[in-house]
Amino acid sequence: MRVRAAFLLALALVVFPAVLTAHEAGSDKRLPVIGTAPPFALTSQGGEPVALADFHGKVVALTFIYTGCPDICPMLTQKMVDVQDALGAEFGTKILFVSITLDPERDTPEVLKDYAQFWGAKPEGWSFLTGSLEAVRDVTHRYGVFFAKKENGSVEHSQLTTLIDAEGQMRVQYLGARFDPEEFRRDLLSLVDKE
Amino acid sequence: MILIETRRGFLGGFAAAGAAALLPARRGRTEPALETTSVRLAKNTGICIAPQYVAEELLREEGFTDVRYVVASAGVGQSEAIANGSVDFSLNFAAPLIIPMDAGTPITVIAGVHVGCFELLGREDVRSIADLRGRTVGVQGLGSTPHVFLAAMAAHVGLDPINDIRWIVSTDPSVKPMTMFAEGKIDAFLGFPPEPQELRARRIGHVIVSSSVDRPWSQYFCCMLAGNREFVRQHPVATKRVLRAILKATDLCVTDPALVARRIVAGGFTPSYDYALQTLNEVPYDKWREFDAEDTIRFYALRLHEIGMIKSSPQKIIAENTDWRFFNELKRELKA
Repeated sequence: MRVRAAFLLALALVVFPAVLTAHEAGSDKRLPVIGTAPPFALTSQGGEPVALADFHGKVVALTFIYTGCPDICPMLTQKMVDVQDALGAEFGTKILFVSITLDPERDTPEVLKDYAQFWGAKPEGWSFLTGSLEAVRDVTHRYGVFFAKKENGSVEHSQLTTLIDAEGQMRVQYLGARFDPEEFRRDLLSLVDKE
Repeated sequence: MILIETRRGFLGGFAAAGAAALLPARRGRTEPALETTSVRLAKNTGICIAPQYVAEELLREEGFTDVRYVVASAGVGQSEAIANGSVDFSLNFAAPLIIPMDAGTPITVIAGVHVGCFELLGREDVRSIADLRGRTVGVQGLGSTPHVFLAAMAAHVGLDPINDIRWIVSTDPSVKPMTMFAEGKIDAFLGFPPEPQELRARRIGHVIVSSSVDRPWSQYFCCMLAGNREFVRQHPVATKRVLRAILKATDLCVTDPALVARRIVAGGFTPSYDYALQTLNEVPYDKWREFDAEDTIRFYALRLHEIGMIKSSPQKIIAENTDWRFFNELKRELKA
């Protein structure tokens, strides 16, 4: 009886993966289209002007951090570093990360460059952007992120990461920094596979 | 009903940003324009609805320029405020939402937001709900949320809530059941934050049922977002954005509870930072994508039906007083 059960289990494991894969790829799993990603024009860690339009044709994960953040931003950045490494050759060629500072007065291109190097962000696929306070505030408004600098220099802020497809459409937003990095990676790849 | 000022002041640096938010915020999005830029939310002494209290700036980021908090009594009073249109939306416990729905009041529940904020607290010799037989239980009024809900809990374990429990009704609004409990005048009461946190700090009583961990209560939403039916019907774009702001604020309660505690104290929603922080750390704000909002309405409607508090079937309540389309869309658009 046990042999028969083991055989049936083995058979199921052989047969059902195909079924599960087909189900997961079904239309109900596709990411929704939220709307056109709001444009922006800022400055990279290399001091170059960068606009969202420059990323057209690539899948973008856009988030907001600041280098002096003691808790949530490092968690998010580490998570994105892990995903960066897990993406392999797709990272930089088809998938880009963009982190916009919420403390532009302190986070100059030089500071952001150091931050990127400290965390191991690969420059070919990960831009850290800054700009005038007004320009950054404009971007946060457009993406529905709030932030406020306190007297002690820390920044209170919400945490939102937006996935933008190659056509510039917002497809899903991740709240906070507790999300599943594997789900995040799968969502990015699903947008690449769409091409 | 008292209209209070918005808290632009307490939000400090956000003020200028909020005023400038509307136009640029909308330029890049393909979503339809808001049908209204005004929204009114309820304010009361309960702090488990913290997401509502810190949603103001997120609502401004969604394009609302006139965000107001209206003082409304908790529970059924809050539901009445939604129904009569003095409040557009509020988080409220499911049970007091369902009772006025049964009477035909125009309330539409659009989402479940968080689980488990209430706790049944009792003296040391009260160890279970069944131990309430013959005991004194304090409530602010017959028909109040704690009374209705405790009656349902009692019936669920086989007690007759009318004859088995000695209800001690406080007719003076200033005399709270928590005070009576602390003074040893009653055996048990149902507490909502910050009451359980305060009693724990004072080492008074113990928890008989915690809705955040004890089944079946922990398996359903506690607070749900409800709106005035006409507002929801006439302002679907605004309704979705209100819900999006509330859900973002709910995530903030998980991500940065200290920030939220600071803000609700600074905003005058509650006096104690410590109790606020404790509440935010204890209430499971991270379940809104996992739990089934319709199941919650069905569960509480059945409980209330069992004790004769409502006559409508759960199906009728769900058909006439819920609209999950915004919640379903946002569950796909926002991950956490």
